[in-house]
Amino acid sequence: MQKIKSLMTRQGLRSPQESVHDLSPIESFRIPSKEELREVCEEPTDPQAQQEIINSIEEVYFSNDSFDIVKYELERLPPVLNLQELEEYRDKLKQQQAAVSKKVADLILEKQPAYVQELERITSLQTGLQLAAVICTNGRRHLNIAKEGFTQTSLGLLANQRKRQLLIGLLKSLRTIKTLQRTDVRLSEMLEEEDYPGAIQLCLECQKAASTFKHYSCISELNSKLQDTLEQIEEQLDVALSKICKNFDISHYTKVQQAYRLLGKTQTAMDQLHMHFTQAIHNTVFQVVLGYVELCAGNTDTKFQKLQYKDLCTHITSDSYIPCLADLCKALWEVMLSYYRTMQWHDNHDQDEAAAVSSVADGSNVIGTEENSFDRSYVKKKLEHGLSRIWQDVQLKVKTYLLGTDLSNFKYDDFIFVLDVTSRLMQVGEEFCGSKSEVLQESIRKQSVNYFKTYHRTRLEELRMFLENETWELCPVKSSFSILQLHEFKFMEQSRSPSVSPSKQPASAISTTVTLFEQYCNGGNPFEIQADSKDDETEDVLASNGYESDEQEKSAYQEYDSDSDVPEELKRDYVDEQTGDAPVKSVSRETLRSRKRSDYNLNKVNAPILTNTTLNVIRLAGKYMQMMNILKPIAFDVIHFMSQLFDYYLYAVYTFFGRNDMYESTGLSSSRLRTTLNRIQESLIDLEVSADPAGTLTAAEERKEKVPSPHLSHLVVLTSGNSLYGLAERVVATESLVFLAEQFEFLQPHLDAVMPAAKKPFLQQFYSQTVSTASELRKPVYWIVAAKAIDYEQMLLLMANVKWDVKEIMSQHNIYVDALLKEFEEFNRRLNEVSKRVRIPLPVSNILWEHCIRLANRTLVEGYANVKKCSNEGRALMQLDFQQFLMKLEKLTDIRPIPDKEFVETYIKAYYLAENDMESWIKEHREYSTKQLTNLVNVCLGSHINKKARQKLLAAIDDIDRPKR
Amino acid sequence: MSQTAMSETYDFLFKFLVIGNAGTGKSCLLHQFIEKKFKDDSNHTIGVEFGSKIVNVGGKYVKLQIWDTAGQERFRSVTRSYYRGAAGALLVYDITSRETYNALTNWLTDARMLASQNIVIILCGNKKDLDAEREVTFLEASRFAQENELMFLETSALTGENVEEAFVQCARKILNKIESGELDPERMGSDTEAVLTNGI
Repeated sequence: MQKIKSLMTRQGLRSPQESVHDLSPIESFRIPSKEELREVCEEPTDPQAQQEIINSIEEVYFSNDSFDIVKYELERLPPVLNLQELEEYRDKLKQQQAAVSKKVADLILEKQPAYVQELERITSLQTGLQLAAVICTNGRRHLNIAKEGFTQTSLGLLANQRKRQLLIGLLKSLRTIKTLQRTDVRLSEMLEEEDYPGAIQLCLECQKAASTFKHYSCISELNSKLQDTLEQIEEQLDVALSKICKNFDISHYTKVQQAYRLLGKTQTAMDQLHMHFTQAIHNTVFQVVLGYVELCAGNTDTKFQKLQYKDLCTHITSDSYIPCLADLCKALWEVMLSYYRTMQWHDNHDQDEAAAVSSVADGSNVIGTEENSFDRSYVKKKLEHGLSRIWQDVQLKVKTYLLGTDLSNFKYDDFIFVLDVTSRLMQVGEEFCGSKSEVLQESIRKQSVNYFKTYHRTRLEELRMFLENETWELCPVKSSFSILQLHEFKFMEQSRSPSVSPSKQPASAISTTVTLFEQYCNGGNPFEIQADSKDDETEDVLASNGYESDEQEKSAYQEYDSDSDVPEELKRDYVDEQTGDAPVKSVSRETLRSRKRSDYNLNKVNAPILTNTTLNVIRLAGKYMQMMNILKPIAFDVIHFMSQLFDYYLYAVYTFFGRNDMYESTGLSSSRLRTTLNRIQESLIDLEVSADPAGTLTAAEERKEKVPSPHLSHLVVLTSGNSLYGLAERVVATESLVFLAEQFEFLQPHLDAVMPAAKKPFLQQFYSQTVSTASELRKPVYWIVAAKAIDYEQMLLLMANVKWDVKEIMSQHNIYVDALLKEFEEFNRRLNEVSKRVRIPLPVSNILWEHCIRLANRTLVEGYANVKKCSNEGRALMQLDFQQFLMKLEKLTDIRPIPDKEFVETYIKAYYLAENDMESWIKEHREYSTKQLTNLVNVCLGSHINKKARQKLLAAIDDIDRPKR
Repeated sequence: MSQTAMSETYDFLFKFLVIGNAGTGKSCLLHQFIEKKFKDDSNHTIGVEFGSKIVNVGGKYVKLQIWDTAGQERFRSVTRSYYRGAAGALLVYDITSRETYNALTNWLTDARMLASQNIVIILCGNKKDLDAEREVTFLEASRFAQENELMFLETSALTGENVEEAFVQCARKILNKIESGELDPERMGSDTEAVLTNGI
């Protein structure tokens, strides 16, 4: 535009010539000067000619390029320059130029008016344009004013308005965000209030809300914070869940469950719960045991905390063992109760839910309920499965505790308490998951056997001490004494029939069919109650050394302080006899049969004969039986130990009173008794110790099961003839053994009832081979007395002095008979003396008399067999003597028939037999010794047997003798 | 004599007697001593009961083998046989019963005659807790004890007061006698079965 403008202005100012000049510099350059132009114009102006001239112009001149004409023309010059020619040529060129100039001037002139006209128009256009420019400038100026004054403001206003609206929205969001951020506080408040479902709900809502604001950068922070909070809530929830394990609370648990449901983690919660229970069991027992260990250690040394539970258990002292066990059980009970109540909660909850679902079964939320029911069945399965797992855990923990301490030195009461607690725990287990508690039973069995071994060993030692201090004095008890009156046998009173075993604890629970869980569901603790009643119960069951007796015992023993009550007792006995009342059961049958009293117990009541030691054994038996009732699994061991008590007593009585080196004769003890004694000696008696006290230590372990043979108290004198060689003590000892055997017989059905079937043969064998042999001990024991009481040797000497080859029938018996009778009278007197001290039961006096008479009769036969020569009259004298003896003897004793009477009579009368009869007689009567038979034959020689017959008879005796050897 | 249990170790074994009239609380004393409990349902002892306990006397472990005898007359023949070889005795009377106090002389004679002249006896006035019903004064009894060369304590089986002390003091006196050579532990029992042994 500028260019145009400047062009316009220049044209306006310049002459057209100038303008033309301007237009083409090259042209103007070529334009000839005015002088030239005049020259051209002076030239002929014939157009034709001119045209021809123009045409003759060489083409080269028309080229527009920067063609150097001068050079061109110079080059065209011929080699030889000819002025003429050059002149001509120059003219020609001049003409040509003039023609061209003329032409150009013509053309210019031709266009002049058009040019002028055009120029005028351009000028007017220029003016118009200048005007337009002014208008434009003004317009723009006005526009600018308008722009500034109006559009910008209102647009700004609009923009601000928009901004405001946005900001209001932002503020709202920010407020929400602020609230969201504040919810954190509220959340923790809720957590403190344990409103987990609320907290989770809130948290979830917050998260949802936050997600709508996620374009804010601060929100992502909040979001992560919320996530953290949620996780924190979950953690807290987990903690809350774990609290359930120790103290179940319905509302608490309901909240927790709701919370987990909100989180959609019902199953996880269940797994978690089981983990917590396992953990709770572990922590609980550890804490309880640790508490006691630290308490006992008396310092808060942390070393215990690092111990394994198992090792920790071994640090429990025996003093704290029981309270710790009780606490342990209490704590575990609470855990199990929590579990039980958890299950209960789920049961109830399921029912409620099932009811709710069935009522709203419109299918709208089928998927949800399906999921729920799946969860529910999962939970149910899990919980049911968990029962046995938890019980197993509990058992193992308790087992570790139980076996951690050696209970063998515990007091009986204490040990029983441990058993009671454990059996109660087993009852809990039974109710908890129907478990038979094999683990507990096994550990309790182990401990029991171990304990009982030690207990029994101590008791055996004690029994030995009792035996060695026993002077075999009669322990005065009433005739109506029964072991059932003893404290230790009270339990049998409670359950008369042995089939109903008196297991104390479960009976009450079962009979009322209220399980412990139902009973203590809302508080209380089954182990608590036991601990409280411990004193009553144990005291009752376990009079450890029988310090106390009870009312019945009192009645059994009292009224004895003076002798004055004896007649009364007698009267009562007579009354019994007359009315035929069945006498008290424990009085032995034998003594009952002997109501027709022997001479020796007229002044005494038929009280059982027993010693302090017997009582001790009986009481021990009672305690052992109580032990069996509580501890059925080790019943066999207990019975076995109990049989040892009897064995030892039997063995002691035998060694004290039945074994006599001088008179020991294998024929006296039955083979059964000998077998029994040998068995006892082998299994129970530690022979080495008695022989070599220094060796006690060497093999103590292997002899643990054995006891040394007891020694008879030195206060007991068995050598005095006046006391019939300790007859009183022998009677007390032997008869107390018989009494003990009777008591054992009485207990047999009870023992049989608790004995496992497989072990019953042991019991039968014990009874048939040991208990029943008790009375057989009488024979060797009293035989010793009988053998010493009468001086048989003296009699043999007296008999040897008698002449038997008398020729006339004598009317007077020999003095040896008197001597013998005197001995018997003395024996009778002493027997009476002894019976003043001790009642001698009829079987005993009978045995004594029988032994004495047998020995006397055998001595008589022996004496008669010593006779060298004998006449018929002498033989008659023998008969007379024997008759005299029998007659007097029968006045001394009630025993009928006189034992071995035939033995003497037959021997005497055999003398009269003829040869043939004699031979068959010899063959028939093997009870006589070879010496006696030979003598018989020899004394007959010369009267009615000849030498030949004698040879024959002696041969017959040899024949009989031979197979004997 | 072998020890009764593996865990038991002691230096001496003393045989003790508890004697005195019926109802003076002999069994209760023993029970209190062993079990540390009062036996309130106690009744008359039949024959002889037994209890043992190991006590520490001046650093020595002494096992006391205690025979608790029946006080009733009718058991006298049974109980007397347990006197032999006893190293110590608790002679018990009831401070609320003069009768039991009056019988002391007889019990004392019995003990010295049947057990040993050297037997160490401690006189125990039991039922100290029943002071209101007292019939025998402390002074009177302590004079009696002095005259008869007895140790003397008033005890209560109910509260346990002086119970352990009675046994321990008696055991200490015996130990002292052994240490001074006045008593020969080997001969004290004069039985082949040593009533008092140097244990392990």
